[in-house]
Amino acid sequence: MSVLDEIYAKAKLNPQKVAFPEAENEKMMLAAYEAGKEGYIIPILVGNTAKIKSLCAERGLEEAVFEFVDIADEEYKNKIIEAYVALPDTMLKQKPLARRTQDPLYFAMVMEAVGDADVTFAGIDNTTGDVLLAGQMIIGLKPGISTISSIGLCDIPGFKGSEGTLLAVGDSAVCTNPTSEQLASIAISACDTVSSLLDWEPRCAMVSYSTLGSGQGELIDKVVEGVKIANELRPDLAIDGEFQFDAAISPAVAAKKVNRESRVAGKANVIIWPDLNVGNVGVKLIQQFGKADAYGPMLQGFNKVVCDCSRGAPVSEIKGNIVISAVRAAGSKNY
Amino acid sequence: MERKELESQVIALVATSYGVDAGTLTVETSFADEIGGTSVQMVGLVSEIENELDVMVQLQDAAGCATIGDLVDKVEEEM
Repeated sequence: MSVLDEIYAKAKLNPQKVAFPEAENEKMMLAAYEAGKEGYIIPILVGNTAKIKSLCAERGLEEAVFEFVDIADEEYKNKIIEAYVALPDTMLKQKPLARRTQDPLYFAMVMEAVGDADVTFAGIDNTTGDVLLAGQMIIGLKPGISTISSIGLCDIPGFKGSEGTLLAVGDSAVCTNPTSEQLASIAISACDTVSSLLDWEPRCAMVSYSTLGSGQGELIDKVVEGVKIANELRPDLAIDGEFQFDAAISPAVAAKKVNRESRVAGKANVIIWPDLNVGNVGVKLIQQFGKADAYGPMLQGFNKVVCDCSRGAPVSEIKGNIVISAVRAAGSKNY
Repeated sequence: MERKELESQVIALVATSYGVDAGTLTVETSFADEIGGTSVQMVGLVSEIENELDVMVQLQDAAGCATIGDLVDKVEEEM
């Protein structure tokens, strides 16, 4: 059974409510429909309900698969805004919220923030910037987390790591040149993401071109400081470094290069890149030379799950990402 | 609203969003060199402007402001 099959099986056990603010988009509607029809999620289409229902009929889709929320429903809108502003630490007040929720993206996120949805899934009609901004304004960041970031899950044929062929890597998509504090945030978020999605016990390596002081310089200092901050913030997590990539994932290399106790060295299942140059190149090397399937990027760091999918993605890929985000939402309720 | 009053209000909102003393800020204060901060704090600032002044400044416009004075100009344009 592939990792995606396992995730699909998990989703079916506990279908989550996923809000779709770009429901009129054909690819999005089809992906939501398939995921709902097959029992992985409860899809909620957010927008102009009359128009969405008419598109649904035109496309030959059964209305009964969906729940519909009309953003013109003033009674419901006022109810969720009222519930939202009563939450602690929210950024927007009632009046700006009323204006922002004319946009289905913000409406869906307010629904999620107040518990009427478990995930907001967008990214075809809205840019990544739109989704990140709305997420930061409405959903907010987890306590202690200073940046939004992402991880991807690589399934690498022939790789014999501590999770078989799987390795989680981040950030390869969002945070360009993280500070030490941001690196710590990325590592902490990544641990939480793999716990909620895959039930792994995370072993997170922060990688560099040096292993425990074998090299020197500011690029290394940034990673060393990031490890220190992460350990101070979340001593419950196994986050260690700085390690070279091979010392992180190979027990033989770790035995030679890591001359102290480590819960991570040689058996890391999560890799944190020092910056986006490394992250982007690293993932492409894994894909090109390792012939790996890469799932994601999964956004992380928000208080709840927000998903930004690729505009060019086919329906099958969007559906996979919907199901992944739903399983993350279900998993994150457990801790 | 008079320009001076708007400047004071924006300075107060910058101080709240970035957790700095408003007395240390002027319209000449540079975001990059003197305030620093994260993109999340800029999102907080844009939200505060929306909350308190009822003006929507786009995040990319706010992020493009070199000084607090530039931000006041943007807010004034949108009023």
